[in-house]
Amino acid sequence: MEILSHLDFSTALNELTPELWQGLLIALEATVGGFVLAVILSVLLAVGRLSKYKFLRGILVVLLEIVRGTPLLVQLVYMFYVVPLLVSLIVQFFIPNYQFQLNPLLAGILGLGINYGCYLSEVVRAAILSIDKGQTEAALALGYTRRQALWSIVIPQATRQAIPVFGNYLIMMIKDTSLLAFITVNELLLRTQAYASQTFLTIESYTILAIAYLILSLPLSQIVRLLEKRSSKHA
Amino acid sequence: MPKPMIEVTQLRKSFGVHEILKGIDLTIRQGEIVVIIGPSGSGKSTLLRCLNCLELPTSGRVKVEGEKFADESGKYNEKRVARLRTEIGMVFQSFNLFPMMTSIQNVMAAQIKIRKKTAEAAKTNAEKYLKKVGLAERMNHYPSQLSGGQKQRVAIARALAMEPNIMLFDEATSALDPELVGEVLKVIRELADEGMTMVLVTHEMRFAEEIGDRIIFMDKGVIVEEGEPSELFNHPKHERTKRFINQVLHPESEKTLI
Ligand SMILES: Nc1ncnc2c1ncn2[C@@H]1O[C@H](COP(=O)(O)OP(=O)(O)O)[C@@H](O)[C@H]1O
Ligand SMILES: [Mg+2]
Repeated sequence: MEILSHLDFSTALNELTPELWQGLLIALEATVGGFVLAVILSVLLAVGRLSKYKFLRGILVVLLEIVRGTPLLVQLVYMFYVVPLLVSLIVQFFIPNYQFQLNPLLAGILGLGINYGCYLSEVVRAAILSIDKGQTEAALALGYTRRQALWSIVIPQATRQAIPVFGNYLIMMIKDTSLLAFITVNELLLRTQAYASQTFLTIESYTILAIAYLILSLPLSQIVRLLEKRSSKHA
Repeated sequence: MPKPMIEVTQLRKSFGVHEILKGIDLTIRQGEIVVIIGPSGSGKSTLLRCLNCLELPTSGRVKVEGEKFADESGKYNEKRVARLRTEIGMVFQSFNLFPMMTSIQNVMAAQIKIRKKTAEAAKTNAEKYLKKVGLAERMNHYPSQLSGGQKQRVAIARALAMEPNIMLFDEATSALDPELVGEVLKVIRELADEGMTMVLVTHEMRFAEEIGDRIIFMDKGVIVEEGEPSELFNHPKHERTKRFINQVLHPESEKTLI
């Protein structure tokens, strides 16, 4: 019980909150960037996996297995520390002494985007396959080519149908930005760690951090639930 | 004689090992209204879908206004097929309206995307055709807000707005509640009066008799018999035709299933 009387939430709250706001901005930047990339990738991957070219489908399946078979944290570390080295090695064939640098936030956005893009592509693929074949046929009968029917009739419906699931992944991604602490992105976790180790207000700092994430994701979950209700209209 | 709009020669279509169409020959001339009847599973839809190349023939060929779907080497070039399809409107049993678009957007979409019309021109045209099918009041409704009969009329307007020379109807009223069938048949009847070339698959025998210039009876992938409506309905030559017509007109009198 001794320890309880030493807890100092008000100091921690006062000093850590501004830090957390700063970290939140960065986390949101990473989320927006990562998610936009993920959505674009997911549609491209889904379409690619439904393509008639076996070779392309094969490559994409391998990519998907690699991404799903390795932890996100490892992918982020790989993106930040290894990919720049590989790029440098390759470019050095043409430009001697070339050093490629990837800024931590950008590496994080790429890592999150690719990882989530792969998972979301399964959602998009399932949504595309679930659209009634009559939709494509109606478009074809009107003179659309297969590609036009896919992009202007089927995919808008599929993505619309996938929106609630996308919402859930978006909330997951916000929380997963905490992993970016490991590649030196100065987001909420890294700032909290720094503060806690300076002040030894360990319990206070990490509790506040956890609550901050909760405050962030609870309203978003509500919005997703609303979207779920709305997207069942006109579908 | 009016010029041929659709010419089908020795059309065969198989799904796997099942041959569904077993050598169909058929010519449809400008302004002609051909009604295809026959038991379910006899290949009527498949034939209709071959007419606009939604199904690729296994062998044989289909010509639209003198142009073959397949090119000289027998290949089906996607762009060419798409272009020929714009000459043919198709109406489906299940409407297949685009659910995320309002009625008028449904009718405008292909005009803009395929015919390259401006949004304004497409809108004017769409309004014209929605009025024609009696849906001036429903232009901004989504399909989910329309009755079956209204949906089917939007689908007809959508096809007509592409200004096709031929219209195909595959059981356009089969999915409708009985009280909504009339409003769709009325629109088709008006098209007939305007001289539209049409091929219809239907189970509405009275309507077929009234509207058709020619009735085709299909069974098991072949055209068993064809002729003028009064002739075919009153004096069918083949036993199979007789039996089918009897069953459809007097469903109680015979127990055998169609
Ligand atoms: N895409 C398809 N794949 C396999 N079989 C099919 C396909 N489309 C139609 N069939 C089969 O072809 C036969 C004829 O079907 P259909 O042309 O729809 O008949 P109808 O319209 O006269 O009822 C049916 O036995 C059906 O199961
Ligand atoms: Mg059918």
